[in-house]
Amino acid sequence: MRQFRLFFRKEMLEMGRSYKWLWVPLVFLMLGVMQPIVTRFMPEILKSAGNMPKGMTITMEPPSGAEVMAQTLSQYNSVGLLILVLSLMTMISGERQSGVSQMIFSKPVSFVSYTAAKWMSMLSLITVSFVLGYAGAWYYTAQMIGPVDAAAAVKAGLFYLLWMWFAGSLTLLVSSLLNPAAGIAFVSLGAALLLSLMYGMIPEYLAWSPGALPQLAITFLQREGGDTGKAGALAISILCMAVFFAGAVSMVKYKKSKI
Amino acid sequence: MTPLLQVDGLTKRFKERTVVKGISFSVAEGSCAALLGPNGAGKTTTISMLAGLLQPTEGSIQLRVGGKPVLDRRPYIGYLPQMPVFYPWMSGKEFLNYAGELAGLTTREAALKTGEWLEAVGLGADGQRKIGGYSGGMKQRLGLAQALIHRPKLLILDEPVSALDPAGRKDVLSLLQRIRRETTVLFSTHVLHDAEEICDEILMIKAGEIALQGNLEHIRREYSEPVIRMEVGGEKASQDWLASVGNKAFVLQAEIAGTRAELTVADVEQASHELMEDAVAHHVIFRKFESGQSTLEDLFMKVVQA
Amino acid sequence: MSTDIPWNLIAPLIVIQLILAVVGLISLYKAASTRGPKWLWVIIILCGNLLGSVAYFVIGRKDAS
Repeated sequence: MRQFRLFFRKEMLEMGRSYKWLWVPLVFLMLGVMQPIVTRFMPEILKSAGNMPKGMTITMEPPSGAEVMAQTLSQYNSVGLLILVLSLMTMISGERQSGVSQMIFSKPVSFVSYTAAKWMSMLSLITVSFVLGYAGAWYYTAQMIGPVDAAAAVKAGLFYLLWMWFAGSLTLLVSSLLNPAAGIAFVSLGAALLLSLMYGMIPEYLAWSPGALPQLAITFLQREGGDTGKAGALAISILCMAVFFAGAVSMVKYKKSKI
Repeated sequence: MTPLLQVDGLTKRFKERTVVKGISFSVAEGSCAALLGPNGAGKTTTISMLAGLLQPTEGSIQLRVGGKPVLDRRPYIGYLPQMPVFYPWMSGKEFLNYAGELAGLTTREAALKTGEWLEAVGLGADGQRKIGGYSGGMKQRLGLAQALIHRPKLLILDEPVSALDPAGRKDVLSLLQRIRRETTVLFSTHVLHDAEEICDEILMIKAGEIALQGNLEHIRREYSEPVIRMEVGGEKASQDWLASVGNKAFVLQAEIAGTRAELTVADVEQASHELMEDAVAHHVIFRKFESGQSTLEDLFMKVVQA
Repeated sequence: MSTDIPWNLIAPLIVIQLILAVVGLISLYKAASTRGPKWLWVIIILCGNLLGSVAYFVIGRKDAS
C-alpha cells in the first residue's frame, strides 16, 4: 500500500510537470464547449460564408439541447479519444524504453502497486478531464440551445465515462505490450474505434460489447429505445478492464527492461 | 570465507543465441570482484540476471544473508545500470528520496539518507537541480547514491566508468574505493586497469564463458613470469659482468644489449639476491635495477585473443 | 449581425486558448530539447490556435531523455 502511494504520487507529479494536468482537461473543456457554440452560430456562419447560390435558403430545424449533447459525445469519440490515447500511450512503455525501469525494478518493488498506480492516475486524469468537458458542454448547451433532461444527461455521462475508462485501460495494456509509441497509439485507437464501429453495424450480436457504451450513452439523451443490454455491456466492460489490468501487471513483470 | 553470492551454471539463451554459457562463480562477503571481458562477452546479460531484471534460462543465483539463502535478492542488492537513466523532470534530491522510499526506508530515514548521500557523492550543491541538466559523471554519481541508499549487502555495477571522461572516471573510482570497505562489490568492465585499481577478485569472461577466475594477486603470481631488468655503468668491469650473467643457473632466458639486460628468471627474489651479491663482489655500478612481472595486461590480451 | 454575440460565454474559450499557448511557450522555453526545431514550435503554437498547442504537448515535448 505504501509503495502504491509512492508510485501514485510520482505519477501525479509527472503528469503535473509535463503539463498533462493542464492541457488534457482544458482541451476536453474546449471540445465540450465548441459543439453548442458552433451549433448556435451555424446559421450565421453559413450566411456569412456568402457563396450560396441565389435563392437557396437554408432551412434548419433548430436542434434540441439533448441532440447537441449527443453530438458532443460523438466529438469525444473521435478527437477526445485521440487526445486520450496520445496522452497516455507511453505511460508504461516509456520507462522501459528509456531504461529508468532498470533502476526501479532492481529494488524490492511490487509490480501490482507499480501498475495500479499508473492505472489510478490514468483514471483520475480521464475522469477530471471528461467531467470538466461534459459539464462545460451541458452548461453551454443550457445557456445557448435549450434545457437538457438532468437524469438522462447524468446517465449518459456515466456510461460515456466508463467507455473512456475502458479505452484508457486498453491503451495502458497495449503500452505494456509494445514499445514504439506510434504502434501503441495505432493499435489502441484502432481497437477502440473498431469496437464501437462493429457495434454500429451489428448491434444485435454485440449488445454486451464495450463498444456499445458510447451508443448507449447517446440513446439515453435521444430516448430512442433500442437500449437493450445495458447491464451486460456494463459488466463486460468492467470485466475487460480487470483483465487488461492483470495482463498489464504480468507484462510489466515479464518485460522489466528492454535488454 | 562464506560466499555472499553463489552462481551455478548460469545460462541465458535468446532464441538461438546462447549469450551466457553456464558460468559458475562465487563472490565472498567483503570482497570486490570484477567481471572482466571484451565487449559482447555477455557481461551486461550476466549482470542483468544478477540484478533480477532478466530471467536466467538455466542455472541458479543464490544470495546468502546471515548464512541462509534468501528468496528475494532485491532488498539486499544495489544496482547501477550501464547508462543510468532517471526522470529528467525530477531533481536529484527527489529521485534519491524516491529510490530510498521504494527500497523500503521510512520517510524520515529516506530524507536523512538522501542528504547524506548527496554530500557523499559530491552532489550536495546540485540536489535541487533537475536531473535533465546533469552531466554524464553527475548521473553516474547519482546512480551510485541511489544504489547504495538502502545499505545493500551487494553492490552490482555495470561498466560504471566506461562512458566517463578522465575526471569523472577518477571521481567514481575513488568513490568505489571508499564504498568497498563497507560493501561487497561486483562490477563489470572491459578495462583491466579499472579492475586492478579496486578489485581483489577477477572473473575473466569471454564469449559467455569464464576464461579465468581467482584472486588478483594469485593470478598475477601464477600466470606472470618474473622478469629482472637492469642497466649498468659503461666501464669495463660492469660490462664484462653483465655479459656473463646469462650463464647463471637461475636465468631462464637473457636478452643483453650493451649496458642493458632483461632476464627471465625462475624466482625473482632468489635471483635478485644472487645478482646483487655477485655484482657487489665484482664492483659493478648499477644505473637501474628493476624486478617485476610480465603484466596482467599481457595475460588479458592472451585470454581475449585466444 | 442578426444576433448579438454572448461575449460572456465566448470569452472563456479565448482565455483557455491563451492559457494553453502561454503554457506551451513557457514549457518550450524551459525545455532542453524538442522534437524538431524550437522556432518551428513557436510558430505552430502561435498560429495553430488550440491544435498548435496540443500538437506541441503531444509531439513536440520530449518526456524522457
